[in-house]
Amino acid sequence: MADLDRGTVPASWTLKFSDSSFHKLSALLTLALLIFAFSFGNAAFFSINNGLTVLLQTSVIGLLGVGMTLVIITGGIDLSVGSVLALSGTITGLSVKAGIPVAPAMAIGVMAGAFCGVINGFVITKMRITPFVATLGMMLIARGVALQLTGAAPISRLGESFGLLGNGSLFRIVEKTGGIFPKVVFPGIPYPVILLAVVALAAAYLLRRRQIGRHIYATGSNEEAARLSGVLVDRTKIFAYGLSGALAGLAGNVLMSRLVTVQPNEGVMYELDAIAAAVIGGASLMGGVGNISGTMIGAAIIGVLRNGLNMAGVSAFVQQIVIGVIVILAVYVDQIRNRR
Amino acid sequence: MKPDAQSAAPLVQMEAIEKHFGGIKAVNGVSLDLYPGEVVGVLGHNGAGKSCLMRILSGAMIPNEGTIKVNGEVAQIQTPHDARDLGIETIYQTLALADHLNAPANLFLGRELKTRFGNLDDARMMAEAVRVVKRLNPNFKNLSDPVSSLSGGQRQVVAIARAIYFDVKILIMDEPTAALGPSETAMVGSLIKQLSNDGIGILLVSHDMHDVFELCDRVVVMNKGRKVGSHRIEDVTKDDVLSLIIKGELPHDWAPRSRKAVQ
Repeated sequence: MADLDRGTVPASWTLKFSDSSFHKLSALLTLALLIFAFSFGNAAFFSINNGLTVLLQTSVIGLLGVGMTLVIITGGIDLSVGSVLALSGTITGLSVKAGIPVAPAMAIGVMAGAFCGVINGFVITKMRITPFVATLGMMLIARGVALQLTGAAPISRLGESFGLLGNGSLFRIVEKTGGIFPKVVFPGIPYPVILLAVVALAAAYLLRRRQIGRHIYATGSNEEAARLSGVLVDRTKIFAYGLSGALAGLAGNVLMSRLVTVQPNEGVMYELDAIAAAVIGGASLMGGVGNISGTMIGAAIIGVLRNGLNMAGVSAFVQQIVIGVIVILAVYVDQIRNRR
Repeated sequence: MKPDAQSAAPLVQMEAIEKHFGGIKAVNGVSLDLYPGEVVGVLGHNGAGKSCLMRILSGAMIPNEGTIKVNGEVAQIQTPHDARDLGIETIYQTLALADHLNAPANLFLGRELKTRFGNLDDARMMAEAVRVVKRLNPNFKNLSDPVSSLSGGQRQVVAIARAIYFDVKILIMDEPTAALGPSETAMVGSLIKQLSNDGIGILLVSHDMHDVFELCDRVVVMNKGRKVGSHRIEDVTKDDVLSLIIKGELPHDWAPRSRKAVQ
């Protein structure tokens, strides 16, 4: 939280790094090192095309990570995002099948995600169930509902417009060559990447400049103090979980749109990637610490690792091992710094 | 106490307050009043119910029975927010600070200053925090650090600043000097005197007899959830108060000390 007041103490940049900027710097350095190493391994890695691919692949984890960051800062955790992602996509798909146009159908899907998140918030604040258990329950419920609604079968033939959000891009420049395949001069910035950028900026603004953001930090930092200070702790938490659910819904729509098919069993274990992104980015599961830019760097590290290891021909199993090690190292480095 | 204080209308009247947890009566039919400019010491063993009573007044706890009147009108204090709207501010023993936030963020927590567009006005909050903190401790510089990195005294200053910055009429201080060194304790003492001169009613929860006799106009003693005594400070000695705290009654031969002195 030390960067709340960057404007007032410019000296801290030169004299000493505040805790969160130190962590962010080390995470950025890790990211740069990874990109450097992978570029040596494969010439195709360091290209605009591949860069955009990585961003596209990162966008779903990034969207989940933004919501996860809000929840983690309140001192909670949301294990349900992977399942809520699938349920939201399913509901969007069913809505499209029922004849609703794609845009409102997607809005319904996102609202279904938000609804799941709000239920999480109510269970946690009103029934006083710990976030781990409450969202674990929602993880099973949402997955079950998605599978039950579809009979575990994918929903396809949703029309071309359903794939636009996931596959479209801005500023795409294509040259007609006369051949069968036109030459792609610039692949364009994928819509999911733009969406993630907008969501991340909005969330960062919310956390840093708005009262609700301040209350999210205060709730995670010292819940009792926040309550005694007149912060509506329950409402703040419900807001955070609701937003996490809505972003999971959004991520679900992006993912299903990219596949142009609704897969009710998609997104298993995505919550763990989102948590990893937030933790690598410096969020503390104890609450009160974390920020969006860190999480974005964390998500990028995971994305780059996956992509780079893929291109280097490393198996998916080994990738999991590597990411697991990175998560532990990131937290370890953080602890060493705190002990200092 | 100011000579006219008793003649003025009471700021707070807590009447027959009861609070029980299961079968245990933490607060059992306690009445307490507080006049403008008066400093009332609330004393008792740990678990005597004094903290409970204070939490009820500050809205952190809802009583099972009893009414609270503020300025003669019945007040419904359901949340800390309600209490603050009535001008009741509390300095908690735990200080109730959010460790990861800096001093201004803590000072304005729940009552953030905002710009026209509803954004947090951090610049103005910092300026106001500097102003109020300077009044308490001129050497306090690192306001932009998270309060977890501040010293015990500085943290106390932030907690006190939060209570007195807003339009406080009734101030509850729960062991405000427990974590402080001698010079900071003296600062809190002079602040209490200054605030009571401004007509603010203060409830001081303390274990420190010296502080109590130094600062209070009146002492209220609780024992096992009941109020066992309410005396003007000049009517009792430290031994009398200790007897009330420990045994729940005054010594057998007790008579108001001030009257005795006159006789």
